[in-house]
Amino acid sequence: MAAELTSTKLNAENHLLLDQPLLRLPHELARRNFKSVQRVVEREKENVLPALKDAANNSLSGSHTPDQTLAALDAMLSRMQGLKRKMENLQGEERKVQDQSKKRIQYLESLHQIPSLVDVKYDEWSRTRLDRLMVDHMLRSGYSESAKQLAQEKGIEDLVDINVFVQCQRIADSLRHGETKEALQWCGENKAGLKKSQYNLEFELRLQQYIEMIRIGDKKKLIEAMLHAKKYLTPYMETQSTEISHAAGLLAFPRDTKAEPYRAMYSSVRWTHLAELFVRTHHELLSLPSRPLLHIALSAGLSALKTPSCHSEYTSSRSNSLSTTTSVCPICSTELNELARNMPYAHHTKSYIESDPIVLPNGRVYGQERLLNMNKNVGCIEAGTIKDPTTGEVFEEGDMKRVYIM
Amino acid sequence: MDTVQKEHERLLKKLKGSEGIQNVQSTIDLLQSARDTIASDPTQASITMAKLQNPVKSSFDSINDSLKESHSSLNKYSKALDKFFKDRPLPSTEHDALSSQEHMINRAIAMHLLRQGQFSVAATFLSELAETKSRNSQQTTEYNPTNDATSLLDIDEAPSDQVRKQFVKMYYILHELKENKNLLPAIEWARENRDALETRGSNLEFELCRLQFVWLFNCEQYPGAPLSAGRQAALEYAKREFHVFLPRYMREVQQLIGAMAFCPNLQSSPYRNIFNNPTAWNDVSLSFTREFCSLMGLSADSPLYIATTAGAIALPTLLKLQTIMKAKRTEWTTQNELPVEIPLPPSYLFHSIFVCPVSKEQATDQNPPMMMPCGHVIAEESLKRLCKGSRFKCPYCPNESHPREARKIFM
Repeated sequence: MAAELTSTKLNAENHLLLDQPLLRLPHELARRNFKSVQRVVEREKENVLPALKDAANNSLSGSHTPDQTLAALDAMLSRMQGLKRKMENLQGEERKVQDQSKKRIQYLESLHQIPSLVDVKYDEWSRTRLDRLMVDHMLRSGYSESAKQLAQEKGIEDLVDINVFVQCQRIADSLRHGETKEALQWCGENKAGLKKSQYNLEFELRLQQYIEMIRIGDKKKLIEAMLHAKKYLTPYMETQSTEISHAAGLLAFPRDTKAEPYRAMYSSVRWTHLAELFVRTHHELLSLPSRPLLHIALSAGLSALKTPSCHSEYTSSRSNSLSTTTSVCPICSTELNELARNMPYAHHTKSYIESDPIVLPNGRVYGQERLLNMNKNVGCIEAGTIKDPTTGEVFEEGDMKRVYIM
Repeated sequence: MDTVQKEHERLLKKLKGSEGIQNVQSTIDLLQSARDTIASDPTQASITMAKLQNPVKSSFDSINDSLKESHSSLNKYSKALDKFFKDRPLPSTEHDALSSQEHMINRAIAMHLLRQGQFSVAATFLSELAETKSRNSQQTTEYNPTNDATSLLDIDEAPSDQVRKQFVKMYYILHELKENKNLLPAIEWARENRDALETRGSNLEFELCRLQFVWLFNCEQYPGAPLSAGRQAALEYAKREFHVFLPRYMREVQQLIGAMAFCPNLQSSPYRNIFNNPTAWNDVSLSFTREFCSLMGLSADSPLYIATTAGAIALPTLLKLQTIMKAKRTEWTTQNELPVEIPLPPSYLFHSIFVCPVSKEQATDQNPPMMMPCGHVIAEESLKRLCKGSRFKCPYCPNESHPREARKIFM
């Protein structure tokens, strides 16, 4: 058995490839939260300070009665109370997010305490990771009830981001049903992040609104559409000039036109496209990978485990479901077999076989000790004979022949 | 990781000590007291208002200051994260071979949930799957009626009710076994499947019955009962049940009965291992799980778990490969095979692997291992290349043979 074929070393720092989003996402949330705080404070400051100045000046110059000054003060007070309430809410959010981050850091840190890949603790850690990845996959596919239930049963609510995905799914669904309101509201909340985005979600949403106005087609709506275009589309003139000229052209084409690109613009498929674009933008902003982590882990794992025997027409002599001395290979197990069919198999430079191989007359190779043990357990076999556990054929014990594998 | 942790602790501390809201409150207090002054004495209005300007302004400034502080600690944490994950980008998402096979992943997940005994989650998941599917098929009928047939075809993708029932049964038996030390359901199952187990060479039924004997013998059911009662019960059990095992397990049965003679001081007898084995229950439940799953054609441990864990172990190597390939602008040429070796723990190797010592290629169905009469093995293609149709010398020993004499072997 080649030494370099197997390794039980666990390099925790390298091992955390799949776990980046675990810390990134709450951090993005915290940053977004912070920006909201900054924004509300800035807004109130710009409002209250001038108001205070005006009130003082007016009071000084005598153009305001004390009652009016009091009213101005009351207005300021209520604004400040509002600010306090908002800040308290946001700070509460931030607390929650950071406490969650703390738990996640502890979870990742605990991997550093595990000495090797064969440690029981690693098994446990890795099972939690699988649960996390499954929840992630479920959430992305929109099976949020299952995700919630699984997270709850496993007690890993702090390690998964159910609310974020549920919100994302809700907005995507609203787009699929032809609603732009929630998506635009989300854009409003994430203005700063969207500036750096590689997608033009907001533009596309506004364009869709414009298309819908034209679709209705009466004169009033057409005017409204043009005003809308002026307000929301023209600011993108520099980057989206072709789309904007197409939008302008759309005015001349009826709903049932066959001319491209106008037919595509009227098409209801655009909504599905918008929903996908939203999900992509959403994931980009929160540093979430575009495909489920489970897929990444699984495709790497399937290849690492797969051998040419897994999809061979001949049953392998080892790790098949017919013998008790070895466990069934996970790739051969029915759950993953089809999935792994088109994956490349693992690369090996050395043979890996039992140390005492013998061959039976039918060409099957077994470790001698294992074969004899198996036969002892089967019993009911005449002394001096050997039964092939895979095929069931019975041979003379003398027919076993040593085989040399370099 | 340490830096990340430290920065985050600092951030939390800052957050707890944040004075933003206090500053807002003090602004409110300032405004309120001014209001009170003016209300009680309207003549003071202008002077109070004038006095109010600077304090309010400065309290806004201090709100901003505290915001700046939390901003800087957020940024520091950001930097720590960036640094920590710098060399660990997410694996590229260019080709996702699995996304087209989503239904099979879902199936694997459902199976995994069932295997773990999380039946209620599995039920929710399956019903959500079915819901989505019916919704999708409705949509396809609206848009494209011809597609409907295909979506109906793969109705079997979810694990059938049969499988679910089997796992419920398995968990019931395991529960009885572990929690109540009740072996009878397990023994009954093993008896029902005796033939299948026997051809597999499994000792499960005997192991279960032996444990039952030990359990009766040790009188674990009624602690405090006289020893003889346990002995009696065990003996009766042996008389009733063990005759079926006699042909196969003569020796073991003799051992058990022989142990009776040592009864009072079993601990010092050669049989103490059988009667006082702390892992016996665990062992037997593990082998039960393995046999149960094997009879369904499934591996004992969840394949999804093994595959994702292996994936996580493999990813750093694959990532390195990706970076190197990108830097050298090469493509990997062996499409069916990964270009690098991925070391996994020994328990992750299942099948025997044959690598031809001549060509260094892994044997496949198309290029199977061939054994020459001397017992050495090379791959078929290497054999053809070496012999050129006539007698040839084995590359590893002086033996000469004809390619006709080489035999295909199965690892």
